[in-house]
Amino acid sequence: SPGCRSPGVPSPLPRQEEAQAIDQELFTEYKFSVDQLMELAGLSCATAIAKAYPPSSFTTSQPAVLVVCGPGNNGGDGLVCARHLKMFGYQPTVYYPKRPSKPLFEGLTTQCQKMDIPFLSEFPAEAALIDELYGLVVDAIFGFSFKGAVREPFGSILSTLERITVPIASIDIPSGWDVEKGKADGLQPDMLISLTAPKKAAVHFAGRYHFLGGRFVPPALQEKYALNLPPYPETDCVLQLT
Amino acid sequence: QAFPLPSLPRRQPTVLVVCGPAQNGAIGLVCARHLRIFDYEPTIFYPKRSPDPLYRDFTTQCEKMDIPFLSYLPTEVQLINDAYNAVVDAVLGAEAEAGEGKEPCATILATLKHVRIPIVSLDVPSGWDVEAGSSGGISPDVLVSLSAPKQCARRFLGRQHFVAGRFLPYDMQKKFELNPPEYPGTECVVALRAPR
Repeated sequence: SPGCRSPGVPSPLPRQEEAQAIDQELFTEYKFSVDQLMELAGLSCATAIAKAYPPSSFTTSQPAVLVVCGPGNNGGDGLVCARHLKMFGYQPTVYYPKRPSKPLFEGLTTQCQKMDIPFLSEFPAEAALIDELYGLVVDAIFGFSFKGAVREPFGSILSTLERITVPIASIDIPSGWDVEKGKADGLQPDMLISLTAPKKAAVHFAGRYHFLGGRFVPPALQEKYALNLPPYPETDCVLQLT
Repeated sequence: QAFPLPSLPRRQPTVLVVCGPAQNGAIGLVCARHLRIFDYEPTIFYPKRSPDPLYRDFTTQCEKMDIPFLSYLPTEVQLINDAYNAVVDAVLGAEAEAGEGKEPCATILATLKHVRIPIVSLDVPSGWDVEAGSSGGISPDVLVSLSAPKQCARRFLGRQHFVAGRFLPYDMQKKFELNPPEYPGTECVVALRAPR
């Protein structure tokens, strides 16, 4: 029934404006830098992936992962995630077609390149090719600030991703979904890593693994926004919700 | 990892974090914030605050998370022993040379030498020479080497030695011949074998 929630599962409350308000408060009141939170967020994503899809579970000869990075902060999270996946023993490849010319993103790109993470010059033309080359795709295209129509090349990319059979791990919001209502005919990821707190769209998530990441929200802020987050285990930076 | 919450002797999971004026102290501030997230109750002593904007933001983050900042460090060591479960020594790092002799570090280190609760030193036990080690300086229980152990770590005699350097790119590890140990799973620290 609508009023019931499983114990320990946070009420997926934050609407888009609330999620943005929490972020704003972290930056303006708490003086966190985008770098700090993006690093912790990306690390959470890599950690969640490592827990759900350990390198030994891949059927490809190497634990090859394709990380698709969008034009904003979600893409930045993906770059950080790719770097940590490399350190965890995976072989990530990045596709990053629209790169903001800001030091933050340029730095993250350099860090990946200097760690010998290849950047594709074009997106694999067919879903079957992705299935053959990679054991997992990380969707770091759009996050919770996404609104409106999907611009190219991401429309075509999402169409291809909707046809792959290897699992997709989406960072924060499955790309292309409405941040509150989801998208019944859109991407159906196997894993969702909700950052800070699950967003309203998470109720529509039907994949196997839902993790919470971004273990940096001060207790006072959790209370203020009534996030009702269950406790993380020990010093882990992720919490498995389902 | 060295002092899990259930293992602490005091009723409250209090930890004193002593932060010096430079980078080592700033790392201490970040450490304190994460300790708070891990449900410890850190208290910070940060007498000489860096003007660096990044480090000032770290201070704000701690303040906004209701982490208390002491206005002075008790010289009566028993007060420290009674109030806290452990002390994090983030006073001086590898960059410090003459720092040991300057105030307020000299008085802080004189006090820390006499505490009976465990000390966790970040990178270099404060006051030790980064290569030669110490004679008569503080004796930490736990050492957390940052990036890679420094020369003086050979003289570390405490219970546990961790390395926190998983972020180092592979080519840098090779270039500096670091031969780091393997990190378990997704852990960002690895415990080296305890010194005999």
